[in-house]
Amino acid sequence: MENRETRLISGKGQYADDLDFPGMAHLVFVGSPHAHAVIKRLEVDKALKVPGVLTVITGQEMVKYTNPLPVQANFKSKGWTWRLAHVYAMPKDKVRWYGEPVAAVVAEDEKTARKAADLVEVEYEPLAVTGNALEALEPDAPKLYDDWEDNKQVHLKFDFGEPETAFEEADQVMHIKTREGRVTGLPIEGRGCVANYNLKKDTLEMWGSFQTPYLARHNIAATLGMPEVKVKINAVDIGGAFGLKIHAWKENVVALASKLTGRHVKWFEPQKDFIVTGPHQRDVFWEGDVAFKNDGTLLGVKATVTHDLGVESTNKGIAALSIFPACSAVPNMYRWKGMHIEGVGAATNKSFYCAYRGYGKDKGIKFIEHALNQIARKLGMTPEAIRLKNYIQPDEFPYHQINSYVYDSGDYPGTLKKALDMANVDEVRAKKEQYLKEGKYIGVGVISAIEPAGVAVPNCQMGGITQARVQITADGTIEVHSDRTEIGQGSEASHAIIVSNILGCNREDVLVKPVTSDYIGQGPLSSRGAVYPASAVAKAAKILKKKVSQCAAAFLKVDEASLVMEGGLIFSSNNPDEKLTYKELAEKSYFFPGPRGLPPEILKNHDHLLDVTTTWYSPTTPDSGSSYTSFCTSADVAVVEVDIDTGATKIIKYAHVHDAGTIIDKQIVDGQIHGGIVQGIGEALSERLDYNEKGQLMTSSFSTYLIPTAVEAPDIEVAHLETPSPFTETGSKGMGEAPIIGSKAVILAAIEDALTPFNIEVNESPATPERVRSWIVAARKEQEESK
Amino acid sequence: MKMPVTLNINNTTWNLDIDANATLLEVLRNNVLNQQSVHRSCEEGECGACTVLMDGKPVNSCLVMAASAQGSTIITSEGLMRGDELHPLMKAFVDELGLQCGFCTPGMVMSAYALINQWEDEELSDMDIRKAIEGNLCRCTGYVNIVNSIRRAKQAKDAGNWW
Amino acid sequence: MKNFVGSRALPDLVYHCPENMNALMALFDTIQGEYKIVAGCTDFIPAVRGGRWSFNDGLSLIDIKKIDELNFIKETDGIVTIGAVTPLSTIMSSDIVQKHAPGLCHAMSTMASPQVRNVGTMGGNIAMSSPAGDTVPSLLALGASVIIKGKQEEKKVALDQFFTGPGKNIMASNEVLKAIEFPALKADESVHFQKIGTRDAVIISIVSAASFLKVENGVCKAARIALGSVAPTPIRVPKAEAFLKNKPATREVLAQCAELVAREISPITDLRASADYRRDLSETLSRRTLMACLDDLNP
Ligand SMILES: Cc1cc2nc3c(=O)[nH]c(=O)nc-3n(C[C@H](O)[C@H](O)[C@H](O)COP(=O)(O)OP(=O)(O)OC[C@H]3O[C@@H](n4cnc5c(N)ncnc54)[C@H](O)[C@@H]3O)c2cc1C
Ligand code: FES
Ligand code: FES
Repeated sequence: MENRETRLISGKGQYADDLDFPGMAHLVFVGSPHAHAVIKRLEVDKALKVPGVLTVITGQEMVKYTNPLPVQANFKSKGWTWRLAHVYAMPKDKVRWYGEPVAAVVAEDEKTARKAADLVEVEYEPLAVTGNALEALEPDAPKLYDDWEDNKQVHLKFDFGEPETAFEEADQVMHIKTREGRVTGLPIEGRGCVANYNLKKDTLEMWGSFQTPYLARHNIAATLGMPEVKVKINAVDIGGAFGLKIHAWKENVVALASKLTGRHVKWFEPQKDFIVTGPHQRDVFWEGDVAFKNDGTLLGVKATVTHDLGVESTNKGIAALSIFPACSAVPNMYRWKGMHIEGVGAATNKSFYCAYRGYGKDKGIKFIEHALNQIARKLGMTPEAIRLKNYIQPDEFPYHQINSYVYDSGDYPGTLKKALDMANVDEVRAKKEQYLKEGKYIGVGVISAIEPAGVAVPNCQMGGITQARVQITADGTIEVHSDRTEIGQGSEASHAIIVSNILGCNREDVLVKPVTSDYIGQGPLSSRGAVYPASAVAKAAKILKKKVSQCAAAFLKVDEASLVMEGGLIFSSNNPDEKLTYKELAEKSYFFPGPRGLPPEILKNHDHLLDVTTTWYSPTTPDSGSSYTSFCTSADVAVVEVDIDTGATKIIKYAHVHDAGTIIDKQIVDGQIHGGIVQGIGEALSERLDYNEKGQLMTSSFSTYLIPTAVEAPDIEVAHLETPSPFTETGSKGMGEAPIIGSKAVILAAIEDALTPFNIEVNESPATPERVRSWIVAARKEQEESK
Repeated sequence: MKMPVTLNINNTTWNLDIDANATLLEVLRNNVLNQQSVHRSCEEGECGACTVLMDGKPVNSCLVMAASAQGSTIITSEGLMRGDELHPLMKAFVDELGLQCGFCTPGMVMSAYALINQWEDEELSDMDIRKAIEGNLCRCTGYVNIVNSIRRAKQAKDAGNWW
Repeated sequence: MKNFVGSRALPDLVYHCPENMNALMALFDTIQGEYKIVAGCTDFIPAVRGGRWSFNDGLSLIDIKKIDELNFIKETDGIVTIGAVTPLSTIMSSDIVQKHAPGLCHAMSTMASPQVRNVGTMGGNIAMSSPAGDTVPSLLALGASVIIKGKQEEKKVALDQFFTGPGKNIMASNEVLKAIEFPALKADESVHFQKIGTRDAVIISIVSAASFLKVENGVCKAARIALGSVAPTPIRVPKAEAFLKNKPATREVLAQCAELVAREISPITDLRASADYRRDLSETLSRRTLMACLDDLNP
């Protein structure tokens, strides 16, 4: 069978925008130009008069025909603050962020719908805008949700280990503040789908860029008030997702449009819509103290991270949920005595927060890595020295971290040392003086990180449970089903490799089916792919292998233990000349078992049905409560040059060492690493969601929200260690997110190192040329004043 | 307003009746021509997903009025195939995993094709490659394997394996 | 306030494609309703999609790209002339321009992307009259003039007299920008261009600068310094230019001149950068472009 890459590159991709059905209508959203306003009047007459317009759906219809968006995560207990807002897919009387959809025009074609979109007349009464998290928490800040006491959506408090002892034992305490700007994942393809509501059967089927079809079905059914069994969601080829397509939000409006018009209805989101009304991430303020000894031994942290969550997430509660990993990730890969971490989330008049590569685990790590670099500087240590001193050692696994995470395996010192070698750090540092004399500001950044992967938490839709199915069809080709959509992360290829390795069949004979809501699981988020779905698929294949052996042994009349399965053939090592192909095996098992048939035990257990559906759940989570199962390791070393007159940063060298356990396919893993690193570089240097004082997003296109082009992206040298995870079926670990964590941190660290002569702490991102230059100007002024 | 245009697309001449306000992208993707490899994202010339060759040069088809393309020769990435056989450049992308989600890929391939086709020298530096694809954004690959794919394709061309 | 709509439809259009200048001029007389000239459309389409330009009652589009009289590059008697609809990529790789104004080629290579440069035109960049238009500083530094053709007359206007505000210029709606001309650089003259954006490639300038220097026997005989994105239009800085006149061409003098540039301008803060940063960059980029000229002239 043709592989996916060949299919896609031959133009046979089937992305959301390629969907086409006879009589299909098109939907276009109309958004608010105000960040916070009362909808006083909304007239659709003019829009409806445009020839070709079928209907216009507004918040009125949403309230009339649908339920509020369902709760996806709820942690109201435990004395924490946890507020949820009662919101519909479109609002009836109030808008809360710039671009918030207030109406959807449905027309015969998209052009007509777009034209009519400008003719929907809305009269607004603007309200005061809450522009950022710190403002939002002020006592007199304008409130977003009337039924909330204030804008604080979340406040979580964690005590890990013994924070008080840690601070008592400390020689020194350092105060650290960092600030990460707001960003978005921005796949090149926006979101899109087609809905078909069958009025005769009262069923709904949708096709589109659904990253998590199973959850989408659950949430869309709940919103539309339909039994889940009457809804089917199909993922088509997805043009990148990175967490941004796990929603089921505007899709509800599309589904309702189909119901109201009786037509297939298509919606394909323009990029600008995706940026303005899409999930955002980061936008945090960290502040706290780190306790340590004079020899660099780390002891404890007391810190608070404040998140600007924007409006209530369209995945209600899932934005707030990301505060858990943000707090829990602080220990990273080091030994600690104790920590007290608080996570606060404030609602503001900005687009909502949801998942983007990293989700929250990135935040804690970036904070602590930054802190380590400051401590090292203060103690006159190199960044690697302080890390090597505090790492959990290879013989300490499984390691129970103070935050209840159970680290599965790794070689932290080995990973870092390799990266330092690759980047020739000593050589670069030796030349720094010389460079400075030439007016060149060169800096080296060193960062290491673990990536908690494969999430499973109670009280939310990220519960972990996962289903997979492997079936040998009657012609011997093999189909694989799971919840793991292909979003460009190689899920189809890795499933096929796992199955063909276990069954010894040919990879070309394995077809990984497009994901639908028929199989249970949360899909590929939080780097679950290589942990949950891959384990479930591997487990199914292993059970299937047993069935295959039993049947093959009966057909070949050999001892099961002597069976070999390789290259698509099954034979006994005692008699390699007599072979069965998978086709022959399937045909015999299903239809033509021979005159005497299969042995009765096989038939009684129906082991000749070569089809296994199974589930997988983490072996560590139930006992430890560790919400993650695997922890891959990465080390990043970067060398940059800063042009101190313009503030522009150039990346000269980039080395990344990764230990994601057993590698299923090196090319795929490398691809994930490269992509994540460049996204992190974008966050570090140029990506910025910038709202003006009226709450309007100013950076709402590819020409203002600046992701790296091929010109700024560096060459990246990658090397691997392979410390298998004892906790997954394949030994591999989730690895989609580590690269974006390390790369952002390492670029900022390298800039800081380059600016050593100015004694600048780089604790704010993005480090745009303007910002870097402003730091230099301020530092120079300070230096002159002190002279 | 409807108006006639004649376009040569992947070696077939089409006499089309188009809307005067249609872009080349819209016309290529419509039901008649069905060139679905030409992807649509920003519609403002910023992402390059819609890149095609117009009279041999890469252009953003979202920034070309279909009417103004009258008489021109258009090649989309589908047009590089020979029947079912991948063009050596596409083969290089598959071999080097120069695509992940595949959304940017057809446009990327067209920019790369234009680069290699007109490149006479032996030497093609990585920066030359990177500059040639600066108008094609990719969010998945970090460009590393794309640059590798293009370098490999250049070698294929040097070895006479090209069309 | 207009609704937020992610991407807008192009207006209902009547499409015109005059084949020569006479046909174009005739069209101006007969055309009904609102009309717009376009060349590459690389500014036109984004402006409509983004809602910055709207034509609710439809639009007649006059595509001038097929007019051969507007598509040429030539050099006669030391004057380089470039037709308004010549694509940026053609200009960039033209031997004539490479030879007589390499700084202009460089400016174009920093603009947009290969795809945009293949259809976008220099005439469009100038007519658009954006303060950030990247072809303009080099052209100002080269001392360029534009040739404007109207029904009655054809006039030549110095480029520094052309712009009247952001997106505004002296052309009437029934006039067309025909060509741009500038004197070819002589052996003792040089032009350099640099720009800074938040990213390197495919980026609108935060500040751009181009400098022209003529050095005879170690003395600055003439200088022109032009900047983009620091004022409502691309501008020259006459005081700083005058400062250089007849001064020794040394790095110190050029650096002093660059300081004067920063003092002479009054940029604004917008979404791309603050006024302070713009002023600061103006000095750096003026200095660097002037020094680059000097390096060319004193090898
Ligand atoms: C992704 C992208 C990146 C870009 N990057 C840059 C950049 O880095 N730097 C930069 O400066 N620009 C940039 N641009 C803007 C644009 O590409 C240039 O301004 C280009 O030169 C415009 O030329 P055009 O022929 O496409 O203009 P058009 O869009 O055809 O026309 C623009 C305007 O000029 C008028 N006009 C055009 N030609 C004439 C004429 N001969 N006589 C009278 N009026 C005329 C039109 O009426 C219209 O108002 C970018 C654009 C895009 C889409
Ligand atoms: S869709 Fe044409 S460049 Fe983005
Ligand atoms: S492969 Fe996904 S955008 Fe390039």
